[in-house]
Amino acid sequence: MIEKTMPDKTKVGVGLFLFSEAWFFLILLITYAFFRSRPADGPSAANSLNVMRTLVFSICLFLSSATIHLAARSFRMGDRSGVSRWLALTVALGAIFLFGQTREYLGLFAHSVTISTNLFGSTFFTLTGFHGLHVLMGLVALGALLGIAMSGRLGAIKPSGFESVAMYWHFVDAVWVVIFTVVYLWPLIA
Amino acid sequence: MPGPYTANAFTLAPASPQAAAISNLFVGTLIFLSAILILVSFLVIYAVIRYRDRPGAPDPEQKFGSRKLEITWTVVPILSLVVLSGFMVRAMSASDPPTAEAKPDLRIVAHQWWWEIIYLKSGVTTANEIHIPVGKRLLVDFRSVDVIHDFWVPALGRKIDIIPGHPNRLWIEADNGGTYLGACAEFCGNEHAWMRIMVIADSPDDFAAWVKQQAGIPPKPVTADEQLGEKIYRENICTNCHLRSVGPDLTHIASRRTLAAGALENTPENLAAWLHDPDDFKPGSNMPNFKLSPGDVRALVAFLETQK
Amino acid sequence: MKDAAVPEALGGESFELEASEGWLSWVSSVDHKQLGIMYLLGAFVFFLVAGVLALLMRIQLAVPNNNFLSPQVYNQFFTMHGTTMIFLVVVPLLVGFATYMVPLMIGARDMAFPRLNALSFWVQIFGGLMLYFSFATSGVNGGAPAAGWFSYAPLSETAYSYGPGVDYWILGLLGIGVGTLTAGINLMATIISMRAPGMSIRRLPLFVWMTLITGFLIVVVMPILNAGLVMLLADRLLNAHFFRADTGGSAVLWQHVFWAFGHPEVYIMVLPAFGIISEVIPVFSGKPIYGYDFVAASTLAIAFLSLTVWAHHMFAVGLGHPFDLFFAICSMAISVPTGIKIFNWTATMYQGRVRFTTAMLFAVAFLLMFTIGGLSGVAFAVVPIDWQLTDSYFVVAHFHYVLFGGTALALFAGVYYWFPKITGRMLDERWGKVNFWLTFIGFNLTFMIQHVLGMLGMPRRVFTYPALPGWEAMNMISTIGAFVLAFAVLTLMINIAISLRSGKIAGDNPWDAWTLEWATTSPPPPENFTRVPPIRGRRPLWDLAHPDRTDEMITKLAG
Repeated sequence: MIEKTMPDKTKVGVGLFLFSEAWFFLILLITYAFFRSRPADGPSAANSLNVMRTLVFSICLFLSSATIHLAARSFRMGDRSGVSRWLALTVALGAIFLFGQTREYLGLFAHSVTISTNLFGSTFFTLTGFHGLHVLMGLVALGALLGIAMSGRLGAIKPSGFESVAMYWHFVDAVWVVIFTVVYLWPLIA
Repeated sequence: MPGPYTANAFTLAPASPQAAAISNLFVGTLIFLSAILILVSFLVIYAVIRYRDRPGAPDPEQKFGSRKLEITWTVVPILSLVVLSGFMVRAMSASDPPTAEAKPDLRIVAHQWWWEIIYLKSGVTTANEIHIPVGKRLLVDFRSVDVIHDFWVPALGRKIDIIPGHPNRLWIEADNGGTYLGACAEFCGNEHAWMRIMVIADSPDDFAAWVKQQAGIPPKPVTADEQLGEKIYRENICTNCHLRSVGPDLTHIASRRTLAAGALENTPENLAAWLHDPDDFKPGSNMPNFKLSPGDVRALVAFLETQK
Repeated sequence: MKDAAVPEALGGESFELEASEGWLSWVSSVDHKQLGIMYLLGAFVFFLVAGVLALLMRIQLAVPNNNFLSPQVYNQFFTMHGTTMIFLVVVPLLVGFATYMVPLMIGARDMAFPRLNALSFWVQIFGGLMLYFSFATSGVNGGAPAAGWFSYAPLSETAYSYGPGVDYWILGLLGIGVGTLTAGINLMATIISMRAPGMSIRRLPLFVWMTLITGFLIVVVMPILNAGLVMLLADRLLNAHFFRADTGGSAVLWQHVFWAFGHPEVYIMVLPAFGIISEVIPVFSGKPIYGYDFVAASTLAIAFLSLTVWAHHMFAVGLGHPFDLFFAICSMAISVPTGIKIFNWTATMYQGRVRFTTAMLFAVAFLLMFTIGGLSGVAFAVVPIDWQLTDSYFVVAHFHYVLFGGTALALFAGVYYWFPKITGRMLDERWGKVNFWLTFIGFNLTFMIQHVLGMLGMPRRVFTYPALPGWEAMNMISTIGAFVLAFAVLTLMINIAISLRSGKIAGDNPWDAWTLEWATTSPPPPENFTRVPPIRGRRPLWDLAHPDRTDEMITKLAG
């Protein structure tokens, strides 16, 4: 009897996890949009954010999706140096993103824009803060993969494990596409 | 703690057109739901008796279902619910008429744990006891100064949440004279249980007289005790709260039936006991214990009893 | 013990067989059966705690104007009672049964992620302990959270709940939520990826199917709760403004976010119970479930609709009649697939041979009690009725009828049904009948009268009430019922204690049931099966015992 192969449990598990994370970010996004639609004074996206600067380090994050895609391809081909190279680049690009975000936060703090300033502050920092935390956790996972790859033991990484980290990283990227559009681009359009 | 609690607090004894609309719908719905319950109960009890395992019972036939039955018991409930929805829509308008265009007659401000009532036309301000004229619809504008409360007088109609930042309005009326009891119906903290509501429907003449009395200046204190009481009231920071809406307005307190939003019947003895230690009756209420001497308490009670 | 390699078809990895002796081995166990038992035991302990809270509350409410409990203490108790029962009792009991039974029912040797399974359990316990730690906080503002199990803002904000109670509520729920979420993911991945050959989705036992759908709801709504919780925590600890109306926030937003989680949560609490009933009634009627496809499909409908009805908890908020109407229609609609199930379960018994084991008694009582709870739910879907009766004892009656009369009775049925499989011994049937009747009587005595109290105008969450006509007598009846119920729980504990010691040996399949968990020893060996029987239908053991009239053959004959 020919059996259908069951879906890979790791991919299913990680996929479900990312699906659940999507709902978490969705609520924070809806909350951001809701408060943005109410009249308010004080700091806002329009008067407090530097879209161009954020765009620069956002592009780094978007590029990192391409690099991890290449890392995954190298992994599938067993190309250890390729994996190390592309993973390192992914980590670097992700780190640049976090560095940029940190600088952005510090700039906002310097202008007295904090989570307690007003609803813009509350929603902006919560939404982007949790995204940043997810990027950080992704960097840890990528770092672990990079370490294993560089130590030469590519075989110790299960294919589904590598795929899972890649899926997570793409997800984090996709969430940023949405956040960037809603938070940074929307004031330019509206 | 006794109280004038003989009045009506019953969802199915409507005393207004709005409450009647809901009550009729409720009775109809109850009959419909009871019929379903009786049907299901019969089917279940019949099955377990008729098909119970006993010696000689036949081997059960391994049946897997019937599409026809499935369709029946899908379509019939859907149709019944459509009918129910029709009645529901009608009752929604009848029990909660639109409030947007009219100007409010009353403002009720909910506090932890008392009700501030302001009659917008006459400017009369009172607390906890709401008077309305029989047969006339009043539009109430609800505000909260702190947490979410809820205004519920079952005999008069629906309940409505009172949410800071989200003003709500409701039409209130009573068909007949009487006292209608209600309560805050959204958990609002320690003394939620004693944030009770009393709506008194007066005849139009009585209502006018009541408004006039509430708008007037209460009689001046005469005896020594009463004068001492007034002195204490004004100098002992009572007015800091009670004249600034932090605590209930006491200008005509002697005319009310209860104290502390229904926690106590309004008698001199109870008023003295309350002043002696509010925590005895409403622990956690925002009225501090001023540790008044018995003499001061007596004087204050004497004074407040003149405030009719 | 030693490493063992496992054939590809059963999971494929090498694993260590855990020692099955000693307490410490349980702490480090990643075996789904042990974890399942731990879920059940942990949840039962919390059940007793929350039950005691309820008894104390009912003592306070037995007479009007009572001062047995201060309002501060009473308010902490009702908050903790609700929070505990929902997050630390009902959900873990259902997850516990699923954790134990689902791998067995699909012919797998463990869950998809055994270590994640252990994490789920321990994180949930830790969250529960953190929640209860709040009782130990001292000072005039100390104590457990006291803003109700749904913590409406702004009451739950710092200004009105100044102690750490609500912070513990948030952190405890975040911990418990991680446990529940990972359990949901694990269960779904297990059902999707670990089924034995032949176990197609359409052949899944209904308990497994309902668990799959429940897992989906968990994955969608736990993060919604988490989002709300972190926002409230930000308000409280970082001075954010999400739900503070006085500084531009929205109290109503909290309600939307919470109920977007909260309503599907109640379906999370009932769907696996439906699954238990779907297993028990057919076995003790001697026939397959009537209308399997419709019972399964209606579960999908319920899950989908459950995501669209949340604002029926907010009819009194004043969001406008069109808004209310939409949610009312969806809420009424959800009663249709639910009714379909009740009818199919009842039809299963027709022309069957009903065996009145204790499990079956609980299952039949479930049909009636859940119907009552479901119908009072339909009453609430009718908006003007909700306008009168929400936030009154009528709603307390409603949700106890669906959660106790529904889920709890189904759980009791599950206990009596699966105890033999888990322990190898039968529960005593005489104690079982005593347990059942005391439960049935105590439950109805406690909660039926509360419908009337609600209609008489008694609001919920009140630590005491005035001596209005009838209120005293009815509350007293309810209190008496609560103590009968407590006694009933005692008889269950006695039954379990004596049966563990000297209950009849169960054997593999004491009930003559048909699903795969009964195709192995009681209790099952560590690897679950030495041999999984061939799976060619929904009832593998029926097919095995009746090779001349398997389900496939009967279906073909029926045409």
